[in-house]
Amino acid sequence: MDAIAVSHLAKKYGQVVAVEDLSFRVEKGRMFGFLGPNGSGKSTTIGCLTGLLDPSGGEVEILGEKFTANSAALKRRLGVMPENLGLFEPLYAHEFLAFVGRMFGLDEATTRKRVTELLAALELEDSRKTLSEYSTGMRKRVAFAAAVIHSPEVLFLDEPFESIDPAGVALLKQWLRRFTEQGRTVFITSHVLETVERLCDEVAIITRPGKLVWQGDITVLGSDGAIEFEGQKFRTLEPLFLHLTGQRYADLNWL
Amino acid sequence: MNRSPIRELIRLRYRLLWAKTRSRNGKIALFVSGYLLLALFLGLFGLGGYKAGVAAVETGQAELVAQIVLAAIFLQATLSTVVLGFGIGAVFAEKELRRYPLTAGQRRMARHITGIVDPFWFLVLAANLGLVIAMYALGAASLAAGIGAMVLLIPSNYLLARVVTQVVDRLIMRRGGAIVLMAAVIGLSMVPGMLAQALKKDPTLGYRILKGLRWTSPFGAAAAMTRHGTAALEGVGIEVAWIAVLAVLAILMERLPAERQQRAAKGPLAWSGVYERLGGLFGPGQAALVGHWLRFYVRNMRFRAMYLLTIPLAAFLAYQMGMVSRHANGVFVAALGAAPMCGFLCTSRFAVNLFGYTGGGFRRFLLMPEEPAACVRAASYASVLLGASLVLLAAVTWIVLAPVAWDTRMLVMLVSLGVFGLFALNGGGLWATIYNPRRGNYSSAIGNDLSASGNALLIGSIIGPLLGINWLARHAAWLVSPDNWWMAVALAAAAVIFYCISLRKIAARFTERREQLMAIVEGRA
Repeated sequence: MDAIAVSHLAKKYGQVVAVEDLSFRVEKGRMFGFLGPNGSGKSTTIGCLTGLLDPSGGEVEILGEKFTANSAALKRRLGVMPENLGLFEPLYAHEFLAFVGRMFGLDEATTRKRVTELLAALELEDSRKTLSEYSTGMRKRVAFAAAVIHSPEVLFLDEPFESIDPAGVALLKQWLRRFTEQGRTVFITSHVLETVERLCDEVAIITRPGKLVWQGDITVLGSDGAIEFEGQKFRTLEPLFLHLTGQRYADLNWL
Repeated sequence: MNRSPIRELIRLRYRLLWAKTRSRNGKIALFVSGYLLLALFLGLFGLGGYKAGVAAVETGQAELVAQIVLAAIFLQATLSTVVLGFGIGAVFAEKELRRYPLTAGQRRMARHITGIVDPFWFLVLAANLGLVIAMYALGAASLAAGIGAMVLLIPSNYLLARVVTQVVDRLIMRRGGAIVLMAAVIGLSMVPGMLAQALKKDPTLGYRILKGLRWTSPFGAAAAMTRHGTAALEGVGIEVAWIAVLAVLAILMERLPAERQQRAAKGPLAWSGVYERLGGLFGPGQAALVGHWLRFYVRNMRFRAMYLLTIPLAAFLAYQMGMVSRHANGVFVAALGAAPMCGFLCTSRFAVNLFGYTGGGFRRFLLMPEEPAACVRAASYASVLLGASLVLLAAVTWIVLAPVAWDTRMLVMLVSLGVFGLFALNGGGLWATIYNPRRGNYSSAIGNDLSASGNALLIGSIIGPLLGINWLARHAAWLVSPDNWWMAVALAAAAVIFYCISLRKIAARFTERREQLMAIVEGRA
């Protein structure tokens, strides 16, 4: 069974098309990278996959179930780190994580244990600061902790590595690998192509407006291999991405 | 000084206002509730000032009436900014302006100039100019001197409002500051009664007070417009001196280090389940969500201040209106009018815009394994629970401190009207939340960031019942008689039903509109 199955997904905001006829599948246990230039519809797609947004057309199946905004039981099996992190600024990190844990059905003792462990692991133990006073990187760590606290089966991470220091990124990567080794699925959007290349098994690349232009296995890049596309060989993800999404040159002579 | 960046910022202020018209809701909000209301108020205020001017000349006491009218407008404008937050919202914060190549002085000028061109201050100016025009038409004032005096009066009014709001802002952020504020409100509420007593004892006191007040800005303006020669110049001088003094005070206040929200010293991790236990009153399934919302309310300094101030404010209004009422049981009737605000005023800012202050946190609710509308219900339950505690407190205050003889029926009526306000206004708040939300700043202690519907509910919750009950007492006294106490109970029951129906109806509408709500509260629409 696929962890994620998207069929002819479309999303419009009034007359503006954000995602158009998008179809792809993600097998269970995969680390899936979802890439695209700014404004190509990555976050909108994640919104449709996690129940935040209602698709204008097409179907979304997560873990074999059709997904709607009211799919409470299915939501319990998902972990989401949204684009804007979705934090409650006036709370302390442990209060926020405890709230999320309880909302996802953890009992009080388990919640406290996991919150304490997560905060220690992510170096977020300064309990004198509310989330509004945290740096961007610290806020990202809290949002990541909120996404994993209930041990979800599918994890959606919208740009998880941006603004996090290298040690933090290394820790997250280690956790994510363990996560997929246990047969769970990770769906990541990111602009840090090097990290995606090292971390993901499979990648989908979309262009504006939310159109799939390439999907494939990229594990070959890890063993010094190359991806062949339209007669060209790509040894890293970046040239493939630029080839697919269009490389731009603009010379500003005053700069 | 290079004024070009400031000119550009003023242009940007109005361009941002205009940009709101790009959405359908923005068009409606700006044109209907903005310009039409502005035109209406300009007319009304101008006419009010004009009528006062006519009265001033007809009574032969032009300067005295001008002094009283200008002082009343001045005080009301200051109170409106401090209590309701009109005309004082920072258009550009200091932090935002720092990105432009402006000196500290230019940034300050830019902030205050963009602040003073707020439509609210045009309303105040219109009221003042109405008085000038009337007095000029009747030959009691010079038009040029009058307009000049009024134009000078606005900056001093604006600067006084700024200074007072900064003091209030700092008090709210300090531990125990809300109690100081409460004491100040109680103290101020006693002034009119004490003054009336003192005037009875010593009739010359009024004259002495007026003499002392001639050194204030509105009295200076009155002198500038009604007198000639040196006396008029002295009035202008008083206005200019006040502007200078208040400007210095405002600058000094701004230079003080920012107050940080005071918090209890915390240990490594402080686990508190008190909010969740309270939330559990609405059922075990609601404990976490209602608990979360209770924490959200209680952690807000502005809510805390309003929680402490609501009962003294209601008591002040009831007592003052009761004293001037012609009804035999004036204080009780006025208390009936003040009762509905008791359960709503403190939570009103959040209750009419439940998600406006959650920012990015809003989408977290939609990711929870609950039906989407569960968060609306929980937020509203928290508001009702906190408001209900004040209805109870108001009843206890009445029992202990009522300045008139009362019986149980009166208490039942007061509590019933408190319950009516609690449920009717929270029910209305649900609809305002869904159909007229607005992105606000959770941490701001001062300023009005509510939508038109939110403001209508907030102001209506204060003025509507106060004036409505007073009107009923004059035209259908039997409706407010303790003999018909059951009518108040029926009204409360109707409000509870309205609230329950609203909760039910709102669920589907919330699910439909959640994407628009998300765009608004996250600042993308």
